[in-house]
Amino acid sequence: MDKLVVVVVDDDESVRESLPDLLKEFGFAVLTFSSAEEFLASGSTARTSCLVLDIAMPGMNGLDLQKELKGRGDKIPIIFITGKRDESIRKRVLEQGAVDILFKPFSDTALRQALHKAMGSD
Amino acid sequence: MAAQSEGSAEEIKGLRRCINDLVSMLALPAAWMGGEPLRIMGNLLDALLSMLSLDFLYVRLKNTADAATGEMVRISPTWAVKPGPQEMGERLRTSVDDDFQESPLLLSNFFVEGDITLVPLRLGLHDDLGIIIAGSRRSDFPQQTERLLLNVAANEAAVWLREASLLSEERRVSSELDRRVAQRTADLAAINDELQREIAERKSAEEKFLREETELKRSQAHKAAILDSSLDCIVAMDHQGCITEFNPAAERVFGYKRENVLGKPLAHVLIPPSLRQQHHLGFAHHLATGESRVLGKRLEMTALCADGREIPVEIAIARIQQDGPPSFTGYLRDITARKQNEDALLEAHTRLAQSEERWRSVFESSAIGVALADLEGRFIATNPVFQKMLGYTEQEFEQLHFLDITVEEDRDLNSALVADLLDGKRREFEIEKQYRRKNGSLVSVRNSVSVVSGSDRVPRFLLALSEDVTRRHLAEAALDKARSELAHVARVTALSALTASIAHEVNQPLSGIVTNASTCLRMLDADPPNVEGARETARRTIRDGNRASDVITRLRALFGKKSTPFELFDLNEAAQEVIALSVSELQRNRVTLQSNLATDLPSVLGDRIQVQQVILNLIRNGLDAMSTVEDRQRELLVMTERDEGGGARLSVTDSGVGIDPQIEEKLFEPFHTTKGDGMGIGLSVSRSIMESHQGRLWAARNEGPGATFSFVLPSSTNT
Repeated sequence: MDKLVVVVVDDDESVRESLPDLLKEFGFAVLTFSSAEEFLASGSTARTSCLVLDIAMPGMNGLDLQKELKGRGDKIPIIFITGKRDESIRKRVLEQGAVDILFKPFSDTALRQALHKAMGSD
Repeated sequence: MAAQSEGSAEEIKGLRRCINDLVSMLALPAAWMGGEPLRIMGNLLDALLSMLSLDFLYVRLKNTADAATGEMVRISPTWAVKPGPQEMGERLRTSVDDDFQESPLLLSNFFVEGDITLVPLRLGLHDDLGIIIAGSRRSDFPQQTERLLLNVAANEAAVWLREASLLSEERRVSSELDRRVAQRTADLAAINDELQREIAERKSAEEKFLREETELKRSQAHKAAILDSSLDCIVAMDHQGCITEFNPAAERVFGYKRENVLGKPLAHVLIPPSLRQQHHLGFAHHLATGESRVLGKRLEMTALCADGREIPVEIAIARIQQDGPPSFTGYLRDITARKQNEDALLEAHTRLAQSEERWRSVFESSAIGVALADLEGRFIATNPVFQKMLGYTEQEFEQLHFLDITVEEDRDLNSALVADLLDGKRREFEIEKQYRRKNGSLVSVRNSVSVVSGSDRVPRFLLALSEDVTRRHLAEAALDKARSELAHVARVTALSALTASIAHEVNQPLSGIVTNASTCLRMLDADPPNVEGARETARRTIRDGNRASDVITRLRALFGKKSTPFELFDLNEAAQEVIALSVSELQRNRVTLQSNLATDLPSVLGDRIQVQQVILNLIRNGLDAMSTVEDRQRELLVMTERDEGGGARLSVTDSGVGIDPQIEEKLFEPFHTTKGDGMGIGLSVSRSIMESHQGRLWAARNEGPGATFSFVLPSSTNT
């Protein structure tokens, strides 16, 4: 059976380099995009099982993308990752339907638990 | 004949004695010359009494002035009794007839026992001189020789009495004459005096007359002169109301010629038609009753001039009563000018009152306290603001000295400054001090004090304009506190923003490190281990570690230095550090930053961190200004250059929305913001920081889009 596809959207190149390796170690297929616009333009939404999404990005940020997807009726589970520890952001994104939010730097365990939560069972 | 011869011898003897006595008797008058009748008679009686053997001799003289002295008596020493002349005279008058028809007369027991013969000897041809009565108790009395002697003596006495009487009369007449002459002389003297007086009076009267005449002439001349030269108009009229005098002044004022108005009714000349009826009634009433409402008073009336003008005049009318009917003289003065002066004066008074009122209203309603004090420092007047400020009433202030309400620590300085004012060393002074209110609380004031130079009526006084600066002080304190709080908030905010930025900067590589390390472990734990993958992730871990290290290095550069408030530093270097820290933020906002740093920039003195905060603020400000810009490049230019004044200038130019003219003035005010998430303190704090560095921060619109914010710091060599 095909691996579940996890999409990473982050403007930080180092994240785009490191995170996919870890996700692959977890056994997921991984697609990376450096911006929300790029992701939306890729047409990959349909096969995305989980979206690992940075919040602060030039142009459309993570929150905008969540809103956009929700507006389209797309129910892709979203795990936010952010370098800025802000509890108000956590509350806001969870209310908007996000699965979880991880503050950088986060442990692989925390990521794995979030992914489990996003996709029911592993 | 013997008897005859014997008798003859005796007779001859007697005759001889008688002749001797006669000779003696006749010799007597030599002593009587000029004598008094009583002395003559006394002398005669003494001689007869001793010549003849008589008992008494009594004499009564007539026509003598004094009856009491008209009687005289000589008594023989043989008598035991010595009756006085009046007693003798009385007894004789009751005993014998006055005219002694019988002679000699025999009386018995006349004062003495026995018979006594009385012989009267009449004095004068008609007994008109008096009578001598001789008495003797001898029986042969009177013998022939005794009769002869007595008669001779009586004749002799009568001659001399008459002589004496004549002399006396002559003396009397002479005396009377003298008296009369004296009287007449006195009368004449009195008459003379009276005459002299009359002459003097007449002379005086003549002189008086002359003087009066001169006076009259002078008076007339004087009157004429007065009439001619008087500044007052003098107009006289007779009892019929016709003009009898009209002096040159009257001619000048009223414009009539004297010769044209003399004899004309005054009413038709000087009195305006509207007042003539009143004049006629008043004049007629006066002539009939003597009553007048105008005589002897100073009145203001209206007079008619030749040209028809009516002018205000002051008039005093005197009635001159002479023998004939009365005449009247009026003294008139044109008071047009005075009226105008009075009007002007009234207007000036009104203006003065208005001015006074205005000044009082300024004084009363002034927004600041006004206090006037005498040179001693005692309050004269205070305005409501001053009273309210200190809680005393105006009356209470009048009992107070300014030092009474000045707090102890300000008194010496204040007194010294006032003394300088009074000595003329200062024209005015300003002092910030504290007053103690009536309720004991303190109020801070700023006083401007000066000496107001007095006038004739108002002595010099002190004027204090007193502003309550308690609120200003509180406001300033509050502002300082707010600024300080703002600066703190700004610092915290800037720091937290910086921290967030730094956290972001650090968390990114940290996140990479954690992820890569985790991946690395997983790869090594795999079976078989993915060594190549692990190596790659380990390499990336090192790279991210270095990235984190760079961030820390930059942070150390930013915060690690000892925070001395002012230090010499290179503005270019400070700016570069801020730019480096802002790179990721710039990238995220898709802003390209260009820096153009001058190489000849002078080093500046200041708080490096604060200046960097300003630079950071300006960069963020530029980013914010361009956040909505999509139609053009988001560009930020950071430029340093040497200022014309020798200082160092830094400018941050953006291509953003620019400055809305409506908010331009508010740009640097605290809490003014155009940003939804900003606190609006960045530019305000930045400007405060620049000002604390003796620098300047300003904003300007670009020629193209956007705005330029610049600051300039003085060169360290200039400070």
